[in-house]
Amino acid sequence: MSKYNVIGTRVHRVDGPDKVTGKAKYTFDMVLPNMLYGKILRSPHPHAKILSIDTSQAEKLIGVKGIVTGKDTLGKKQGIWRRFPELCDEEMICRSKVRYIGDPVAAVAAVDEDTAAEALDLIEVEYELLPAVFDPLDAIKEDAPQVHEGVELNINVTRHIEWGDVDEAFKQCDLVREDHFRCSSQAHVCMETHDAIASFDHSGKLTVWTSTQAAYYMQVLLADMLGLREGDVRVIKPPTGGGFGSKFELDSAQFCASLLSMKLCQPVKIVFTREEEFTASKRRTPMIYYTKLGAKKDGTLLAKEVRVITEGGAYTSMGATALYLTGFFSSFPYKYPNYRYDGYRAYTNTAPTSAMRGFGAPQAVFVGESQIDMMAEELGIDPVEIRRRNGMTPNYEVPGQANIQSCGLHQCLDKIEEHIKQRGKLPPNRGIGIAAYGFMSGGIFNWFDTPYAFSAAVVRINIDGKVDLFTGACDIGQGSDTTLSMICAEELGVRLDDIRIHAADTGICPPDLGAWGSRETLMNGNAVKMAAADAKRQLLEFAGAKMGANIVYDLDIKDRWVHLVDRPQKGLSYFDVVKEAIRGKDGEAIMGRGHYTPHRKGMISPAYSFGVQAAEVEVDPETGRYKLVNVTTAHESGTVINPVGIEGQLEGAIMMAGGYGFCEDQPMDNGKILNPSIGDYKLIRSLDMPETKILEIDTYEPEGPFGAKEAGEGLTNPTAGAIGNAIYKAVGVRIHDLPITPEKVFRALRAKEQARSSK
Amino acid sequence: MIRDFEYLSPKTLEEALAFLSQYQDECKIIAGGQSLLILMRQGLIAPEYLVDIKGITELNYVQAEAKAGLRIGALTPHRAIEKSPLMKNSFSVLAEMEHRLASIQTRNWGTIGGNLCHADPAGDPTSVLMALNATVTTASVKGKRTMAVEDFCKDYFETALQHDELLVEIQVPPAPPHTGAAYTKFNIIETDMAMVAVAVSITLGTSKDVCQDARIVLGACASTQLRAKKAEEVLRGKKITAGLLKEAGQVASQEADPISDVTASEEYRRELVKVLVPRVGQKALDRARQA
Amino acid sequence: MKKELKLTVNGQPYELYVKPGTLLVEVLRNELDLTGTKRGCESASCGACTVSLNGMAVKSCTILALQADGGDILTIEGLAKGTELHPLQKAFLDHGALQCGFCTSGMLMSAAGLFHEKPTPTLDEIKEAIDGNICRCTGYNSIIRALSAVARGEYKEQR
Ligand SMILES: Cc1cc2nc3c(=O)[nH]c(=O)nc-3n(C[C@H](O)[C@H](O)[C@H](O)COP(=O)(O)OP(=O)(O)OC[C@H]3O[C@@H](n4cnc5c(N)ncnc54)[C@H](O)[C@@H]3O)c2cc1C
Repeated sequence: MSKYNVIGTRVHRVDGPDKVTGKAKYTFDMVLPNMLYGKILRSPHPHAKILSIDTSQAEKLIGVKGIVTGKDTLGKKQGIWRRFPELCDEEMICRSKVRYIGDPVAAVAAVDEDTAAEALDLIEVEYELLPAVFDPLDAIKEDAPQVHEGVELNINVTRHIEWGDVDEAFKQCDLVREDHFRCSSQAHVCMETHDAIASFDHSGKLTVWTSTQAAYYMQVLLADMLGLREGDVRVIKPPTGGGFGSKFELDSAQFCASLLSMKLCQPVKIVFTREEEFTASKRRTPMIYYTKLGAKKDGTLLAKEVRVITEGGAYTSMGATALYLTGFFSSFPYKYPNYRYDGYRAYTNTAPTSAMRGFGAPQAVFVGESQIDMMAEELGIDPVEIRRRNGMTPNYEVPGQANIQSCGLHQCLDKIEEHIKQRGKLPPNRGIGIAAYGFMSGGIFNWFDTPYAFSAAVVRINIDGKVDLFTGACDIGQGSDTTLSMICAEELGVRLDDIRIHAADTGICPPDLGAWGSRETLMNGNAVKMAAADAKRQLLEFAGAKMGANIVYDLDIKDRWVHLVDRPQKGLSYFDVVKEAIRGKDGEAIMGRGHYTPHRKGMISPAYSFGVQAAEVEVDPETGRYKLVNVTTAHESGTVINPVGIEGQLEGAIMMAGGYGFCEDQPMDNGKILNPSIGDYKLIRSLDMPETKILEIDTYEPEGPFGAKEAGEGLTNPTAGAIGNAIYKAVGVRIHDLPITPEKVFRALRAKEQARSSK
Repeated sequence: MIRDFEYLSPKTLEEALAFLSQYQDECKIIAGGQSLLILMRQGLIAPEYLVDIKGITELNYVQAEAKAGLRIGALTPHRAIEKSPLMKNSFSVLAEMEHRLASIQTRNWGTIGGNLCHADPAGDPTSVLMALNATVTTASVKGKRTMAVEDFCKDYFETALQHDELLVEIQVPPAPPHTGAAYTKFNIIETDMAMVAVAVSITLGTSKDVCQDARIVLGACASTQLRAKKAEEVLRGKKITAGLLKEAGQVASQEADPISDVTASEEYRRELVKVLVPRVGQKALDRARQA
Repeated sequence: MKKELKLTVNGQPYELYVKPGTLLVEVLRNELDLTGTKRGCESASCGACTVSLNGMAVKSCTILALQADGGDILTIEGLAKGTELHPLQKAFLDHGALQCGFCTSGMLMSAAGLFHEKPTPTLDEIKEAIDGNICRCTGYNSIIRALSAVARGEYKEQR
């Protein structure tokens, strides 16, 4: 029997009943009295000077209540890296220049959406077109148009990571490979588009309901950009229809709704159209990879050198982090004694690229895992074996970068090897490819430089034993409300339905950095656990006195039973203890506080998850069309708190990362995204979804709550690489650029055939 | 945003035709709206009058007669065709085609007539109906016209319909003996619109040996669904072999006139035709032999 | 010019006046405040707006409200009977067949359409029934498992 009562059990999501009955009110569903509807006018040009904006005709339209342009803003540029002013480069409404098709130039509030849309057509903007640049390799040329004044060669950020002596090590290698890859963009496609309702009142306070991954960031950024005190801005996150990295920056819906509301003292609601969602809500960073890998004959990887140029789009966004993480995760999950990374992020006149689930790592893993298979083949070593020989192990230090504590990579490799054996001999044109990966459990970097803890929680035990849990964590669908409630219940020794969670309302919850970097389970989980432990200790102090325990540590609570650890049958009802304790505290509810900030835990993350995935494909060699037959994953995320949640994260990641490998793309023509609709942007649907299997791995992470670590983003890392390797196994062609479309497979097969017949 | 319009909902064909005659090009017809409403929401179509024919029950039927063959009312929903017990033997290819057309929600509400009138060169029914030598009947207050499906499709999103005309029926003649038909749409997401589609119907002589007639139709390969007539010629009068089908594919790919777009290049589409024509042809052939 | 519209929604008859260009989803969400039905795209391709019209799953974003005149509509709000969840809803909870929940109403209504047509669908029929619904979170397989469990009779019909 498990030593836990709540964690590890299969439970219903705490928000499940509301969501299956249609009761859950998303921002999208909310209507406030006297509310206006806003729309945003966006640039149709990739690069242009704004010469003038004439809103007079639009203002005359009946039903239009207010219009704002760049002139109505404070003229500040926003960015998440507040410590680096040069990286704060994005005007929420452009004042003098637009830099991509979709850059906001004005916003309208009107009595209804149709009127607001009509008003947009009446706003006249005079532009002077500027030469534009779209490809990052063009952008870094001497004579390229400048996206931002004074930024040399359009280089927005550079990143360098190095350890060992790479050049010397390559000399020691028996085999060195140099390869080139291109990773495409990807749209988040949250089912709920970006939206916000802002309500500014005459007392000078702003309340914003919004679909966000980081209520606290929005509070701070909005205050900054609007010139308000943080305390006068309250951000509330209702149920949120997905985020995947697109919803933790300040967006134009939030900003424009707030600005309009401040001007009108009426609530204003802005909802992105699906087209805006595709074109103006940021996207995954396309990357151009040059990578050099050196090995000894026996498969020992001695050195790796990686050079990356990323397509930044018009603004920094979270792109600097993607640039860093892709470099860091290019070394994963292997023990390279010598490693060098140089990354460059180039500004271009395209939609800004930013964070998306995996945050630079899926690109790194596609490239790295493709190349390692190529290396293994050349050396005549089995793909599992080469990974085993070089894979990270527990308590490994990535030189100068990170300390890895728990690491189950080798167990994962064993399980996947077993799985491949079980599949037996495959029919022709079928292949299984693998990819190994690791990911962080929350970033240690603090963009904001906030003195607040990274995560915090408050637990309040009420007279009837019901527990209110307050946390800033943002459930965007990934299930943090459920996981944190489970952690709280377990630590406190009560049942899941004793907990009621109140999350992501900056007016009542402690700050939390939000749902990104796979941080909520570990970081907020630790804070919740600490808060619950704090509250529990207060109960035990009372119980101890009553039960004659020497010290509170002799006592514990499990399943609402306060008891002696050594003699569990001797105890008191939790409910009775709660009543006594509250009475004893002059009627004050029991309050527990907890917080977590990873100090002295390396530069990246306090803990890392690992895994290996095997993708099986069946290729039609005549057309290049292939089917994803099966995707099996051995993922280790430490102690499993919420098994249903992990299954969901894993299978969902396969839909998203499989799409990244297989069909999702954002082709452009002169900066214009050509497929900005769900009809034209290809998404994996139920009939396309492969069979999925999860292989359980048992590990324990000392830094995580109850030994848990991430199981969110890391799962999006392997699939594209595994598909690429599977295609190679099936039909012997290697695709170097994502997505691996049937057309590319077809062309490669054709080229291979031609090469063979010309021999 | 859908612009305001006057909504007319005739309950009979006669009423509908009267409206069309009265309002001519100021009005637009809506059946299931699965294609039309998307365009109206984008403001690409903004009629003064919208004639909603979905409620004309007399145009919602599937009938089979030994001599006349299959008769499908223009307002028959895709799903009804897919599920109709009449879709057997040589007509079963219609049900197979419908089964992979869009989603069930769209098939429940969208109509076959609307699909033909929308005239998307990637639309599935047109290719199959052309291969089955189907005809359509249109009606106006002036009378009825019947024409081959091929003649009905004129260009990208353009048909032979006059402003005052309604598509009322589709007729699929009974297949000659020893006829088999097959259809494949190629795409990367299972129920997506076709990247390339191929429909083939083959009729064998009494000895079940020599190809008496063949119809090869390419979808998403030109401004309308296209008969690959030269490819058909390759098969006609001959004993069909794998080699011959391959040749027909080559010829068809030269007849095709596809475009490059975000989903596929022109070249790839041509290559797909080369592969798909023999495959679909083989399936049609097998069925013809069994018929 | 507004037109009269009669609908029965979740058993409740309504008489409304709507502009002809009003979509069914707009009537449900804006006039009747039944916001369980979502909208996720402008191209009839995500399925979030799926409702049942006369027993059939349809996309309420691509039907004029007036085209549903006289129709019997079931939305997500009408699926549970009082305090008792519908078997499909229970199965979704048990199998973790939802995450962000934004597609969930549409998924459930597509599923309801399926089971209305055929109480014991096959696996392929289950996959087909939800193929018109995009879910960006779950990867569908948990939904497929939930529906398979219902098809196997693991969830007794209420009443
Ligand atoms: C998400 C999605 C996926 C789709 N996938 C496919 C697919 O894979 N394959 C495919 O073939 N189609 C597909 N379609 C297209 C669609 O299913 C059909 O084209 C649709 O069913 C048309 O029928 P309707 O009754 O809805 O026509 P409407 O949208 O009402 O009308 C379409 C056009 O035809 C005219 N019209 C309609 N009926 C008549 C008539 N009787 N006489 C004269 N004019 C008329 C209308 O004025 C309009 O111009 C898809 C659509 C969607 C939304």
